[in-house]
Amino acid sequence: MSKTVSQSGHGVSRRAVLAGMGAAGSMAAAGTMPTPATAQTVTLRWWSPQTAPAQREAYNFQIQTFEAANPGVKVNFEATSDEGYPAQMAAAFASGQVPNVVTHLPSFAVSSYWQNGLLEPFNDVINMIGPQNFFEGANRIYEVTPGQFAGTGIGGSAANMMWLRSDLMREAGLTTPRTWDQLRAACQRLQRAPVFGAPLPYARNSMTSLIFITFVHGAGGSIFTPDLQVNVENDAFRNALEFYKSMREFCPPGATNYSWGDSLTAFVSGATATGIYTGRVLANVAQQNPRIADFISCQPYPTISTSVPHWTFNDFPSVMIPKGAPNLDVTKRFAAHLFRADGYIRQLHAAPGHVLPVLKTVYESAAYQENALIKKYAADVQIMSQQASAGHNLGWETVRHKPNTKAGQIVASHVFAEAVQRYVGANEPMAQVVSGVARRLEELMRA
Amino acid sequence: MKTLAGRIAFNLFAWTVVLVTAFPLIWMILTSVKPQFELFRIPPTFWPEQITFEHYVRLIYETPFLKYMRNSLILGFTTTIVVVVVATLGAHSLVRFRYPGRERLAQMVLFTYLLPSVVLILPLYLMMVWLGIANTIFSLVIAYTTFALPYALWLLRSFMQGIPDDLEAAALVDGATRMEAFVDVILPQALPGIISTSLFTFILAWNEYLYALVLVNTDEARPLTTGVMSMLVSAFNIEWSLLMAASVMMSLPLIIIFAFLQKYLTRGFGAGGVKG
Amino acid sequence: MSGNPLDKRYAVLGAMLIAPTVLIFCAVIVYPLVSALYLSLFTIFTPTLRGSFIGLGNYAYLVNSPEFWRSLWNTLLWTVCTLTLQIVFGVAAALMLHQNIVFRSLARSLILFPYFVSTVVAVLVWRWLFNDLYGVMNHLMLMAGLIKMPLDWLGSMPNAMISIILVGAWKYFPFVVIAVLARLQTIPDALYEAAKIDGAGAWSRFVDITLPQLRDVLVVVVLLRAIWDFKEFDLIYLLTGGGPIIATQTLPLMVYKDAFGLNDMGRASAVAVSMMLVMLSFMVLYLKLAGRGERESQP
Repeated sequence: MSKTVSQSGHGVSRRAVLAGMGAAGSMAAAGTMPTPATAQTVTLRWWSPQTAPAQREAYNFQIQTFEAANPGVKVNFEATSDEGYPAQMAAAFASGQVPNVVTHLPSFAVSSYWQNGLLEPFNDVINMIGPQNFFEGANRIYEVTPGQFAGTGIGGSAANMMWLRSDLMREAGLTTPRTWDQLRAACQRLQRAPVFGAPLPYARNSMTSLIFITFVHGAGGSIFTPDLQVNVENDAFRNALEFYKSMREFCPPGATNYSWGDSLTAFVSGATATGIYTGRVLANVAQQNPRIADFISCQPYPTISTSVPHWTFNDFPSVMIPKGAPNLDVTKRFAAHLFRADGYIRQLHAAPGHVLPVLKTVYESAAYQENALIKKYAADVQIMSQQASAGHNLGWETVRHKPNTKAGQIVASHVFAEAVQRYVGANEPMAQVVSGVARRLEELMRA
Repeated sequence: MKTLAGRIAFNLFAWTVVLVTAFPLIWMILTSVKPQFELFRIPPTFWPEQITFEHYVRLIYETPFLKYMRNSLILGFTTTIVVVVVATLGAHSLVRFRYPGRERLAQMVLFTYLLPSVVLILPLYLMMVWLGIANTIFSLVIAYTTFALPYALWLLRSFMQGIPDDLEAAALVDGATRMEAFVDVILPQALPGIISTSLFTFILAWNEYLYALVLVNTDEARPLTTGVMSMLVSAFNIEWSLLMAASVMMSLPLIIIFAFLQKYLTRGFGAGGVKG
Repeated sequence: MSGNPLDKRYAVLGAMLIAPTVLIFCAVIVYPLVSALYLSLFTIFTPTLRGSFIGLGNYAYLVNSPEFWRSLWNTLLWTVCTLTLQIVFGVAAALMLHQNIVFRSLARSLILFPYFVSTVVAVLVWRWLFNDLYGVMNHLMLMAGLIKMPLDWLGSMPNAMISIILVGAWKYFPFVVIAVLARLQTIPDALYEAAKIDGAGAWSRFVDITLPQLRDVLVVVVLLRAIWDFKEFDLIYLLTGGGPIIATQTLPLMVYKDAFGLNDMGRASAVAVSMMLVMLSFMVLYLKLAGRGERESQP
């Protein structure tokens, strides 16, 4: 740390100079534009990688209501993407031309930016929304520095729900699996050509890494100790790898390249008997394969034994305000506006069950419950909401853990996905794989 | 090849090769007219059981597809014009004039071309911000120049080396200035090369992905490649039907342009070689 | 050209004509290039571009990094294989399309299609064709009895490497076709007539007449394609993302991961600079060989 500070002179000056030049340039541009001094328009920029058409509609509604209530303010929505946002955020921060509000990035991205001093504190916005309206503990993950919030969640997700087909289960005479052994046995019974048992990913991507992390917790372990020491050379980690490997025979051959979309589609299309995903399944089944709509339900993913509690992966889609965003006052009001019930519910209904509310007032409201899919699958939505609100991710593994601001880089390094591929695909010996993971994690934590 | 049977056999063979090569195109078109529920059949159907154009209609009326198309066209044409004008003058200079460092320059051009695009992104972005044009189509034009200009310059240089010197010399003897000779004599000779270079440049600009992904993120400036991706491919869904329809429509302008310019395209390469 | 006495007097005009090119190069390429060299000496956190000077530390790290060497090997393997296929298929297809076949211009348009289609689209179509469950490739092979289970085209080795090489060859061989076809049209028929009279067969006519005539154009094509293939990012990133493990991770993918995944711009720049040095040495060697070949063939 001290090295960074003492040597940061190069970066700072360069960045300051560039930012200064950028500002001068934009000021010159503004000067040439025929804007009357009286009609002051303030333009806010809103970025999000979640841009499905239905979501865009909800966003437009939120923008319109805000603009109507605040004359002279204009909000531009700009789509970023899951692949593109790290580079785009980097470019924005480096140039000083940052958006006002960024939503739906995973919480660990927020804490990493916060750690590097790139974000505005979010306390004011949370106070505007009303801290008492949130689900208990919903904002703890954003409290990287005690007393200061780096952002807040705009929704919750329960990414590793186990989806089941009740028709196939009944045919095979099976009950809901609770442990890994039961799940394997069920998959064995359910796998009948052309239907496979499960759509677990074995690819070099973040989904594989994230699912693997849930298995480590499902085995009763954790990646780091509460004070963030690497904690992988133990039985829980090895059991998770072993379980992942044992499931390979129940997954389609192409699972070596599966990401969220492929895995979801495999279950929705009926190609696999079980699924692992958020509540997005509900909307996609209704749209793409209504034949199975009456036979789907979800449960928390099984763990190694009944004594190990479920661990739900929640990437906590977030809201944050980059440092240096212009018109801070309006920006904060707009961020709070995103949580106003009418617009917020529209946003949530754009993908029922996929993004779950963080405000318990909204979850309990009749307006939220008034949705065909949420009604039809009320029990499933309730389970997912409970799981999501108790959810965790690598940035905050358990309530006892300190926030891990390196989580984003660790997932992006593919260290876990590679471990899965080494052990499952390339048949490398367990000890070698585990020690490799330990070494790389140490390295990433030190960097 | 003389006998009729030989001719037929050769034609059959040639067309088999052509159709195998174009199979992804054929499959793209077939998929784009299948209703969505037919896509996930196991096993897949070959001919659509039911033909529908709803995906094309949805794409045009319910998505910003046409806006992206407009951006891509502006981007493609602007890039092509800027790059080809600059490269034609440059190539002419490299081939027909003598000044110190001329030989080295041609190699330097290629050398600068070796750096992977990924590391150019941030410096380029900072420069766009400095110029006050970040997040616009024009910023992509400038970015695309980084890879299109060296390419165009080399193609044109190789082509212009194939034009005999005597032509220009004759014009000069008749009293024309160098620029007049360039316009009256060299340009008409180089036209096929210029057209094919333009096409190559246009294809590059039309199809680029990485810069477009990072450098712009408003719908006002987003081209087709990233627009279609971010619109139809997300973590939870790939809209295969729409995607295939979009792909067909993205390829159409190029196929049309090519149909008109085919004879120039294949004439574009002159006899010039590498004279490093 | 060399004998033109007017040349010296026109040097200024010549310099003016090349000036826009040089200016653009300095702005959009030399400046980023210098900044890449500069950044490679630091450890830099990408989102802030702040960091500390570590001299050649990044390079020292790379020399000892198996990942770097593996990526370099992957890059070379991919470039050599896909380039070879592009040239072989390209020349063969050009020879074929040079013959009189029915609907020749349609055939030419279709052959050139892969080059037109954007990489993003091409990759998505291929992933759709390769799909294990709904993909037509597996289905056709299953029907033909070639395989018993759907094949895993992109997620296991060596399939993944073979797949990207084949898709790369499919995507870019039309470039070779265009270039070679244009050149074939300028070879005088008289050369072939003479060879026929001498009793040369089809193969020896190809080797003795066609190939030498194609030499110049192939030299340029190989050079340009080699650079593009070496730098290829979109196609591999979108097809396999570098997996399984790092079996198809080429250097540009490593640069991207280091820069924006691991937020280490310094190391990413160091990889990029090393990559450039590798390419540069190959290029210099190549131009030297090509130049020597030229002098030998035209004494």
